[in-house]
Amino acid sequence: MQNMTAKQAPRSYKVQRFLDGWSLFYENLIGKIGLYLLILFGLMAIVSYIPPHVDPMYHPMTGVDPDISYASPPSARHWLGTDNIGRDILSQLLTGARVAFLVGITAAFISIVIGTLLGMVAGYGGKILDALLMRLADMVMVMPSLLVILLLSVLFGQLSIWTIVILIALFRWPAVARVIRSQTLTLKQRPFIDMARVAGASHLRILFRHILPNVLPMALLYMTFRITSAIIVEAALSFLGFGDPNTVSWGMMLQWVWKTGHMFQAPYWLLPPGICISLMTLSFYMMGRAMEEVLDPRLRKIRKTDHAAT
Amino acid sequence: MLLPVIRHGKMLTGFLLSCLLAALISCGPGKHDSQMLRIGLMEEPRTTNVWLASDANSRKVLSLIYQPLYTYDPDTLDLAPWLAASMPEYDPATESYTIRLRHAKWSDGTPLTAHDVVFTVDLIRQFQVPRYYAQWQFVEKTVAVDDQTVRFFLSQPRAIFLTKTLVSFIVPKSQWAPIAQQAGSTKKPLVALMNAKIPKPLGSGPYMLEQWRQGAFLHMKKNPHFFGKNLVICNRRLGPHADAILFKMYSTADVAILALKKDAVDFFWWSIQPGYIDGLEKNRNTKIFLSDRSALYYMGFNVRHAPFSDPDFRRAATILIDKDFIIERVLQGYAASMDSIVPSENIFWHAADLPQYGHGLSREERIQMAFRLLSDAGYTWDRPPVNAAGKVVSPSGIILPSGRPMDAFTILTPPADYDPARATCGVIIQEWLKDLGIPASTRPMSFGALLQRIKDRQDFDTFILGYGQLSLDPDYLNNFFHSANDRPGGWNMSGYRNPEFDRLADASVQAMEPARRQELVWEMQRILMADLPYIPLYNPVAIEAVGTQRFEGWEQMIDGIGNIWSICRVKPLAAPM
Repeated sequence: MQNMTAKQAPRSYKVQRFLDGWSLFYENLIGKIGLYLLILFGLMAIVSYIPPHVDPMYHPMTGVDPDISYASPPSARHWLGTDNIGRDILSQLLTGARVAFLVGITAAFISIVIGTLLGMVAGYGGKILDALLMRLADMVMVMPSLLVILLLSVLFGQLSIWTIVILIALFRWPAVARVIRSQTLTLKQRPFIDMARVAGASHLRILFRHILPNVLPMALLYMTFRITSAIIVEAALSFLGFGDPNTVSWGMMLQWVWKTGHMFQAPYWLLPPGICISLMTLSFYMMGRAMEEVLDPRLRKIRKTDHAAT
Repeated sequence: MLLPVIRHGKMLTGFLLSCLLAALISCGPGKHDSQMLRIGLMEEPRTTNVWLASDANSRKVLSLIYQPLYTYDPDTLDLAPWLAASMPEYDPATESYTIRLRHAKWSDGTPLTAHDVVFTVDLIRQFQVPRYYAQWQFVEKTVAVDDQTVRFFLSQPRAIFLTKTLVSFIVPKSQWAPIAQQAGSTKKPLVALMNAKIPKPLGSGPYMLEQWRQGAFLHMKKNPHFFGKNLVICNRRLGPHADAILFKMYSTADVAILALKKDAVDFFWWSIQPGYIDGLEKNRNTKIFLSDRSALYYMGFNVRHAPFSDPDFRRAATILIDKDFIIERVLQGYAASMDSIVPSENIFWHAADLPQYGHGLSREERIQMAFRLLSDAGYTWDRPPVNAAGKVVSPSGIILPSGRPMDAFTILTPPADYDPARATCGVIIQEWLKDLGIPASTRPMSFGALLQRIKDRQDFDTFILGYGQLSLDPDYLNNFFHSANDRPGGWNMSGYRNPEFDRLADASVQAMEPARRQELVWEMQRILMADLPYIPLYNPVAIEAVGTQRFEGWEQMIDGIGNIWSICRVKPLAAPM
């Protein structure tokens, strides 16, 4: 009886809002596919810790099969085959998922933090501060990020994976800042902000207590798109030979297959990392699209109207 | 009314497009006929100015235009007369060499005389042209005895005169004298000379430059005045047999390999990766040539500071490096292991009985041996790599004999994009060093920045580099390790200083008697392999591919089939009836 009461008790507003959003998200086929793909890659990243414990030869970077010293096709011992040195391709692929998550999520998170903070400050502060920050955003936005990172790599030698992550983040915040600024501009005209101001709240309190919670969903939405671009930039850098040599990423795998002359000889080595890069970026993009519909009711209305018309 | 206008408009457009296409085709090198040899290059040549050309592709093209007095016999690698008619005659009394020239002509039909040779030497000495000046520096005077005879007076006996100096190019006085004169009157004569534009280089080789459309192709035509036509040199009758050569630029090896397979190119003048071999062997249009190289790929130390200044540390690192592993896996077996700075393929100069550190040992045995060596030298660990039971364990905290913990250091390598083998070696060696608790990490850098950091700024710990074409003469030992060359920009990059080695190197430079010089060079190698400023790693095999459908008769020698002998000897296959 007591259990029943607990179950039937009205849920809190936040939980209810989350569940509503979740059901909307889950109704969306694109979002569902994206989510399943992401769970698959997440599992790959977790499983990547296991192979080196099975046998040292499954270590993605240093492990080599003692009997195989050439690129070999899939076999019972190596489910996706080996690279030219005799390293297991499946182990490398699993580790690549881990690196992609690390690069994508970290770079996107840093860029979202920078973008959200600067966007809020620009929108709330207005006047010169707004103009300065937005011109800075414009300048960074028009910079060809891949080219600049390539040049930095040439000048200072190969960059570590963390430097790459930070550089990607530093080049990817302006779009977020612009969106968050426009959101802040509309929010600061609302009565609840005026009320907070009248009640004596400081600017910092208004920004972080009243504006931030309202722009956060939009920032998180943009994070999914930033993750996609961070993964692609890292893969492109590695493929061109400017990745971190101590990291086994999918871009690095593609670079190895290309530079050792196995591009057309070993499809079992070329295709898995290529497919994984495409699917992982696609999954984040799909999730972003679905989240966009959850956060923006106008998109839902358009969709439903379209459905009704047909 | 409108329809005929549109129809006429379309016809006019079609006509104009056809004209444009025809014009474009007529600007090109012409139809790819069966007499045209099509050679693929990896990159565009940078210049046709022979004094500026330091990139491999420019030098490949220019080697077909400018010719030396002597070249190397493809069988014996001995000096063979090329523009010279016979071997040089030595006069010990005057310390001079006299050389008779063949009756050769420049590609414009004017004769090549002793005056051209004198002009070339004087120009190199006057302008101190890099790459060439060191080879001619000790030639005090060059005299044209008559039109066909030239005499070189040496300031001191120098062994490299016969093996290196005489194989450098001769340029025509008629083309270069006005350029040199103009350059000499500027503030920076050498810069002016090297920046001179030479749209049509005048040469004496089998081919001459016809047209170079940058970014598209480089077209060469047969030189009708080539001195070697139908001559027999080194038991080989020379051609050339192809009417023209078309150089095509491929920026990636994959595209060039596809072109070879599709019979769009006859030869890809570039050593390819072993991964391509399988595919090329299966293709009936292509053939693979594997040739020995005179090359050195090595790991170098900055012996100016600790711990690299300690020979025991360098020996321990050498023991940890499994060269057989690198050769078998990274180079797929297409390389030879090196135990000396002089490649073993260079039979005359390579010293035998040199130490083979760790050869044949397992990984555990290597770690144990290196551990013993370093322990005896005073190194300690927080947790040693070999425990009390003699078992290999994961180490930590290596401490120098001075009591200071060893700082983390970097192994600089060229990027994987430039050379995947060296970049991979860096990662593998880093892991092997970590087995002994040595905190190494690899750091690939762009080649230019890498060389500047090592050679000019001397700001590095260790590096992996290579010399793709070592001269057959071992004079490079002197360049790489003599203390006089330990200066910013000097070739003694590791900063090695050994008075005993310097003494032997100085003696070898002046030893004109081959047997005596051989002894000295062997002794120099013994010292180097005991001190190990460089750890020689491997000497890769040159892997080259040709198309088999149109040309045959490639000449294989050290460094591959891309040589003047092949160019002068390849013949078009008879057209199918």
